[in-house]
Amino acid sequence: MDKLNARRRNLTPYILISPFFILFCVFGIYPISYSIITSFFNWPLLGNAAPKFIGFDNYANVLTRDPYFFKALYNTVILLVFGSLMQHVVAVPLAILINSKIIRSKEFFKTTFFLPYITSTVSVVIIFGLLFDTNYGLVNWVISFFSEQQKIRWMFEPWGIQAVLAFILNWKFIGWNMVIYLAGLQSIPSELYEAAEIDGASTLRKHLSVTLPQLYPIMFLAIALSIIGGMQIFEEPFILTGGYDNLGGAQNAGLTSAYYLMFTAFKAYRLGKGSAIAWLLFLVILLLNGINRLAIKRLQR
Amino acid sequence: MAIKIKPQKVLSYLFLGLMAFIFAYPFYNVFVLATWPSSQVLSFPPRFFFGAGLMENWQQLFARIPIGKNFYNSLGIALLSTGSVLFFCTMAGYAFAKFEFRFKAQLYAFVIATMAIPGFLNIIPFYKMMVAFKWVNTWLPLIVPGMAGAFGIFLMTQFLENSIPAELLDAARIDGLGEFGILIRIVFPLSKPGLAVLGIVTFVGSWNNFTGPLILLPRIDSTTLPVALSVLNSRVDNNLGALMLGNALTLLPLMLIFLFFSKQIISGLTAGAVKG
Amino acid sequence: MKRNALSFLLVLVLVMALVAPVFATGSKEASAAAAFDPNAKYEVTIGAYGDLEKAYKAVFASADFKAKYPNIKVTFQTSDFGGHHNRLTTVLAAKEQSNDIEALEVGFIAQFVEAGGLMDLNAAPFNGGAISKNIVKFAMANATTAKGNLVAMPVDIAPAVLFYRADLAAKAGVNLDNLKDWDEYIAVMKKLADPAKGIYAIEHPAAVQAIPLNGGKGGWIVNGKPLEPKAKFVSALELVRKVKAANVDGDLGAWSGPWSQAYIDGKVATIVNGAWFGGTLRTWLSPEPGKWRVAYLPGKMMASLGGTYLSIPETVPAARQAAAWEVIKYLTTNPSAQLITFKEIDAFPALTSVYKDPVMDEPVAFYGGQKVRKIFADVALNIPENKVSEYDNVMLAIWNGAVTDVVNGVATPEAAYKTALDKIKATIF
Repeated sequence: MDKLNARRRNLTPYILISPFFILFCVFGIYPISYSIITSFFNWPLLGNAAPKFIGFDNYANVLTRDPYFFKALYNTVILLVFGSLMQHVVAVPLAILINSKIIRSKEFFKTTFFLPYITSTVSVVIIFGLLFDTNYGLVNWVISFFSEQQKIRWMFEPWGIQAVLAFILNWKFIGWNMVIYLAGLQSIPSELYEAAEIDGASTLRKHLSVTLPQLYPIMFLAIALSIIGGMQIFEEPFILTGGYDNLGGAQNAGLTSAYYLMFTAFKAYRLGKGSAIAWLLFLVILLLNGINRLAIKRLQR
Repeated sequence: MAIKIKPQKVLSYLFLGLMAFIFAYPFYNVFVLATWPSSQVLSFPPRFFFGAGLMENWQQLFARIPIGKNFYNSLGIALLSTGSVLFFCTMAGYAFAKFEFRFKAQLYAFVIATMAIPGFLNIIPFYKMMVAFKWVNTWLPLIVPGMAGAFGIFLMTQFLENSIPAELLDAARIDGLGEFGILIRIVFPLSKPGLAVLGIVTFVGSWNNFTGPLILLPRIDSTTLPVALSVLNSRVDNNLGALMLGNALTLLPLMLIFLFFSKQIISGLTAGAVKG
Repeated sequence: MKRNALSFLLVLVLVMALVAPVFATGSKEASAAAAFDPNAKYEVTIGAYGDLEKAYKAVFASADFKAKYPNIKVTFQTSDFGGHHNRLTTVLAAKEQSNDIEALEVGFIAQFVEAGGLMDLNAAPFNGGAISKNIVKFAMANATTAKGNLVAMPVDIAPAVLFYRADLAAKAGVNLDNLKDWDEYIAVMKKLADPAKGIYAIEHPAAVQAIPLNGGKGGWIVNGKPLEPKAKFVSALELVRKVKAANVDGDLGAWSGPWSQAYIDGKVATIVNGAWFGGTLRTWLSPEPGKWRVAYLPGKMMASLGGTYLSIPETVPAARQAAAWEVIKYLTTNPSAQLITFKEIDAFPALTSVYKDPVMDEPVAFYGGQKVRKIFADVALNIPENKVSEYDNVMLAIWNGAVTDVVNGVATPEAAYKTALDKIKATIF
């Protein structure tokens, strides 16, 4: 009887996690295999021509000849740094400030900062497209009080496009990260601060030597999520810079890796090459997460 | 001492106030623009206050799309997928957080790694499957495949690891509660904050999904709000006012839900839903 | 993490090997369409974008259609422009059944012309060639493959003209009706523009670039060489540079909110566009009649800017094709259908026989009584034929990058041309 119970209990976790694996087998394997296999073919998206097996040619083409792949990867990394990783630079101090004793109405601030998370990309692009408009935009209107210079062409200059994209990402996700860091802050034992206070450390010193190291584990997770999301960013630049007709606006400033892979598959109709870019992107994401892990480990030591 | 603190406090509030303004203004802007007639939406200096075109925009919006039905579809799909995600992800998260079993680390790593696969090109084979299943023009493809998503499992695993003491589970077992009894009677009630977070993430994702319903719910009265609203964006009779109102109307339900649950959601996140 | 990732990849490869057999290409029934039976009941679905549904609904509500096809019921699936083509691309890429009739914008037709996927409307039982003698030549050529297959029927076309504001032209004392060449156009624009009052002569310098290239619809590859002849393409970029240098543009991205607002506020004096743009002006941007006029493009250049085609995808079951073809035939070759479409949404008829209809000679109140339709028809008949290719989309996107570089002043026309050519070669060839 006891044995049976134990066996049953041994099976329990597998039963509990089985939905994921069943769903993965039914809905995941076929699409994933499809994109792996197509990446080794010259596979036209449309039409009746038979796909031709070409081995690693798609990968070789992307890595050696393609004029946009590395440009797109570069843009994506820039956006990752200024759009996604920057969030953490703002979110940590913000969380510390909100968590501090001097601030009241914490709920109000938390709610306000978190609110952008619920917006859809389409709404966000419509809203910010207007706020950053050259002639009618609020941003240029505000700037006009401080500067007599010509209005900034946010949507037409390469750096402007990237700045707006980075701003949108920060706006949308800082609150999310801030709330995550608040969780980390609240789990730091107060004895650590008391010890630092006895040593006569300044507030800044205290946060650098106590708060930050305590936040490293949570930082690793939050940054890992940012990397996974940030490297796959597609809709924001796609809608903001005019979709498939433009390859990311002025000097391809808004062309991200995912944007380019969608263009390759759905506008250049080269499904095979698009799949190859997708898998290269997957490897880059794994690599970056490895670096993230190493960096945090280094810091923790 | 008290005097010393003041400037610091003032500065802090100023900074937070400015940030809050930057974060909140775009929302206010959406609602302001929704009340101006199409020909007056844009102006310089920009619109700061409400206009008189709300009724006009409202009528045009309702004349163009069956917005009531679209709203019903959006809500139904979002609620059903949120409910099922909460259920299945908590199950899996409970297993990963509170059980020891063979290949646990590998299986968990596999779940996490699926998050990094760029799924953009899956739409073609996925659509083929949905046709084979005869699921096109039903809610199922937008609910079933994501019912036990990797992100939800990750979130619930992290949350349950920290929030449910092992002793409590052991005590329940001694009392003769079966594993599924524990799941229903103890794990779910204790994971409310975690569920609130996963709930809003899933609900938002489902509500804002565009490509899925565009391709899988092809008819205007069976599709969701964002897809139906995109019809207003047609070039030849572009109606900025109705578009802005539509935009506001897609945002509003989410805002209300969020403001209503914000305490749970935020306390859920801060209670360690995503803790290291 | 690293080891886990590796084992993950291993599992994937295994799985891949297991699933590979699934990829046997699906069977395709190539059975011929049954003949249309006037007494049987049919339901035809049309996948459309923008306001096509509005126009075609009016056609199907007409007494003539109801008398001819009392047993055909038509339903629509309408999305916005991008959404429609995205959905269609996905469905056809999956080789699954689409709507019986799918509308395609001219920019999307090229891929299907050589690659296949749409029914050959020249073959039996359709025999589209026999009934399309009166359809404008260049549009037929765009939809015809090297082997002579007709993949779609043109339903409307977009002869490009110059729209201008009569009041602003009169105020500036200029005449835009018979511009000799682009230089004269630029000289006139300098008089029209009044930056101090926020009056611009043109929306954006890039707005003119496609005209020397026949609207960018085809002609990207000549005899297997991209962007040839070079002089033609460089001159298009040079034109952009000159317009930019004249400093008369509003720097407005087409179809953005501020762009439409500028037309609503009457701040832009001219726009180069297809005839259908009149519908946009009339219904939405500038409804007040009498303000706008239409002129030939500078140097009487003939170009096409848009156009809609109707197709029957190969995935449509044979039994449904006959009725679909009857509907296409009616929409594309019936004069009354073509005129209703024109009246509803200003989509210019592809059927040349209706150009002789008295309605084409009528003065149009919206254009201050000008007989604009004669100009549209004249341009339509003289648009040059250009070969489309499956690479047009890619080349257009890369080309747009070159145009932006010239507008932003980061490259000379010559340099931008060379960069674009190199990128095209590296991407495609």
